[in-house]
Formats: sequence, structure tokens, C-alpha cells
Amino acid sequence: MEYLSVEKRLSLVRFNIHSEPHIKVDTSKCIDCDYKPCVKACPAGLFTLDDEGRLHFNYEGCFECGTCRVVCPEEAIEWRYPPGGFGVSLRFG
Amino acid sequence: MSAEEKFDVIVVGGGPAGLSAGYFLAKKGFEVVVLERGEDIGTKNMFGGRIYSHVFDKYYPGWRDEAPVERWVRRERFTILCKEGSISLQYIPGQDVGEYDSFTAFLSKFLKWMAVVAESEGALVLPGVKVDKILLEDGYASGVLAGGDRLTADYIVVAEGINTLLVEELGLKGRPRPESLGVGVKEVFKLGRDAISRRFGIGDGEGVAEFLIGYPINKYGAGGFVYTMDEYVSIGAVMKIGNVYKSENNVMDLAEDLRSHPYIKSLVEGGTIVEYSAHMVGEGWGSILERPYGDGLLVVGDAAGTLVNTGFTVRGVDYAVESSRLAADVIEESHGAGDRSSAFLSRYKNYLDSSVIGRSLRRFRKVPEVLSLDRLHTTYIDLICDVLSGVYTVGEETPSLKESIDRGRRGRVSIFRMILDLFTLWRSL
Repeated sequence: MEYLSVEKRLSLVRFNIHSEPHIKVDTSKCIDCDYKPCVKACPAGLFTLDDEGRLHFNYEGCFECGTCRVVCPEEAIEWRYPPGGFGVSLRFG
Repeated sequence: MSAEEKFDVIVVGGGPAGLSAGYFLAKKGFEVVVLERGEDIGTKNMFGGRIYSHVFDKYYPGWRDEAPVERWVRRERFTILCKEGSISLQYIPGQDVGEYDSFTAFLSKFLKWMAVVAESEGALVLPGVKVDKILLEDGYASGVLAGGDRLTADYIVVAEGINTLLVEELGLKGRPRPESLGVGVKEVFKLGRDAISRRFGIGDGEGVAEFLIGYPINKYGAGGFVYTMDEYVSIGAVMKIGNVYKSENNVMDLAEDLRSHPYIKSLVEGGTIVEYSAHMVGEGWGSILERPYGDGLLVVGDAAGTLVNTGFTVRGVDYAVESSRLAADVIEESHGAGDRSSAFLSRYKNYLDSSVIGRSLRRFRKVPEVLSLDRLHTTYIDLICDVLSGVYTVGEETPSLKESIDRGRRGRVSIFRMILDLFTLWRSL
């Protein structure tokens, strides 16, 4: 089987996206965070760094696993579940 | 749902623990509602793929004829992934596996069946309802806030799963540590029933459960798994979240890396990937909550820390169900005594500790730590791979086993260290 980018793998999953993000990142707390483990810890690759090293986060495509909340050393992540009926909807969990 | 409804018990979460809690409580005659945030039952749940049967044999009469079992596990495999090749050890039980029976399943389907069974006993199961807050009255759990609605009850059973937002808010648990949790990823491939039976050398309805260790997932300190479903194969890996700080790898590449190994490639060859998913795992790096109870409140399943990793087997669903059975018993006793104080409900913790869950947790408490030893994932993998490739790579002369071991060991690990590690491993298992 060929290489599958995380985007391609996410395209296989059903997401019922709510207009309000369920995860909010206080990126002002990320400036002093050297390691930014969230970037490497997210199984959906939703935390990214731009050319200037600033953190960006996209809540669409979130598995709601909670790993980013656990791994964040700055407690910069305000983590809630999406409203009832929204978010990831697995068929083969 | 009207603006305010009163139940005997509200169960927060419709996973294995929550749905079995609903079932046990309804069976005892309680008016119980199970609230599940997913748009449908089973849409938020994810696990590797195996369930141990004993709890269903005990508590769900007739379940073998109704439950959506994918395949009965009739082959246990342990595979070491070498840099290129692989080494597999396969166990085929020679007789009826009896109470140790297990089967593969998709939680997405299996939980829908568990919901139907709970409903048939009189429980109300409501998907699409997320609990935002547990309401307290004079310190006693009195209801929940869900969306705009307020529901009240005499007892709240928290079955929210491994991501313990409510349990932490209730003050029953501190902030989870990256060292005490795992993250698991899984890919599911459609292969077809006959292709799976042929490829894995099994009959119709028979399944394989496989544990993987080695390349290339050893750089994550991860262990892998393969489970055969009826028409699908589930493949994935679990790593300690704390390992993210140590390694240069992205968790999002873990499944990709695993799939790139020739052994895994050969398993999914010709198949179509149908889903990728991720979930946190309790892997036994934590333990049962010190206080899985409060005034009018009990915590069950993953939220209470009931998953046990014995090194060979991972007991998730069955122990979650067992914890809910104990919780239902305690609620019945508490209701009978007219006392729902935490002092009374604290017996739930004693029941857990003296149950099979507590006994296993104590017996296997050192396993997760030993399994995450770096040497186990690298040095010993290289050693055993080199030894076997030395023995079986035959030219004009065949090296002896001792020569192969000495060659494999040289510069990597001393005999003394090996004996020490073996001793540690032996004591933990």
C-alpha cells in the first residue's frame, strides 16, 4: 500500500463539524514553550508551526482523543467536547 | 426531553461501562437513563479489537446468539518486527478455551447491541446528548446539565471514558500526567472474508489476535496489534504519551511507519483502507482512582482506571463491565439503606480492590514499566533478530546457536545485564 498522508487518512473519517471550536489554544502561552509537544503528539496533525515558529491549531479533523491537553506543559489548551451529536463519528472504532 | 426530568440514576457516557451500568441498573428495577454525546451509539469509541467473553457469559444470557462478534480468537500471535524480516510465535489452544475465550469486535457495532440490550431491560439510552456539568446540591450529586436541559437523579454514574474531564472537575483526580496515559492509533483495512481466512490460516469465524514489537515503531517505544475482523483487518499501535518528549517522531506518522514494515505490508496487501482513528488508552500506567465515588456518585470503567495491561493481554471492555456490575450492586445496597453518602458508597472502592480488577492491577502493576524499557524495544529486538538470521542464513557452514548469540550480543549488552533484565521481566509477568 502506498504512502498515505494524514490528510488523506483523515478524509476517510466522518466529521460533523460544529461552527464553534471545541478546543481553544491560548497561543500567548506557547511563545515561551520551546518544545511545543502538541505539534508532535496530535495523531491528526492539527497543531502546526508557521515560518516564524508561531503555533496554529485547526479543530476540524479532531478525534477528540485529548492527547494535546495531557501533553501541554503550559496548560494553554482549553479542552471541551463538541456539543452532542457533533465532532468525529467513527464507523470502525 | 422536557426542561426537567427526574430519574433514579443518570449514567454519563454510552461506552462499554456506561451501557452495562444502564443494563445492570435497569435489571434491578431502577429508572435509568444513559446519556451519550455521539450522534449515534458507538461513534466516539475506539479500541484495538478484542473483548474477553467471561463477563458476557456471566451477565448477558443468550448473548452469543445475538451480539455482533466479528471472529472468535483461535490464534494468539506474538511477532517481533526486525529491521527487515520478522519472527512470529503462534499459540493455538489445543482444547476448548472455556472461560478464557475472547472475540474480536468493532465497538461501533458492539455498543449498539449493548444499547439494545440495556433498552430491552427498560433503560433509556439517549445519543446526541453531551453532559456539560454534574450538578451538586449540598455536596450531593443531584443531576446534570446537558445542552440546555437539566436532568435530576438520586445517583450519577460517571462513565465518561479515559479523557476524564468531569472526574477532574469533581476533584476526584488531578490533571492527568503524560507518563500515565497512552495514545493509540488504528487503521482498518477491508480485505474480504475468504482472503482473511486464507492469509491468516484460519477457518470461518476464527480470528487472530496479534501483538507486535520492534521496528519501526520501537523508536516511539510503541507496541502494535493486529486483529482479524469478519471482513476487515485492524492494525495499530499504542505509545506512552510521555514518549513524545523523548522522540523525534510525530504520533501522526506512527500508523504510517507501522504500515511501511514488510510484514505489515504483506498482511494488508490488496486491501483498501476504510478508516483511521486515534484514542487515548489507560494502559495501566495509572491505576484505580483513590476515590471512585462521591456523595450520590460513582465512577466506572476507563474513567475510574479499570483497564489492566498484563503484558500478554489487555483487559479493557471486560473489566469496564465488571466495574459497572459492582457499581450497580453498590447503588442497590445504598438505595436499600437509604444512604447515598460517600461514606456509604466508599464500599465500591473496596469491592473494586477485592475484585478481579484490583487483583490483576496489583499482580501486573510492574508490567507497563517493564514493557517500556528502552532495551526491550531496541537491544533485545536486534539481538534476537540477528541470532535467528545467523542460524537460518545458511552458506557452506552453519554457525552454532552459541556463535550466533555471541555475535548478536557483542557490543550491545553484557551477559550480566541480560540475566538481570530477564530476572526483572520474569518477576513482573
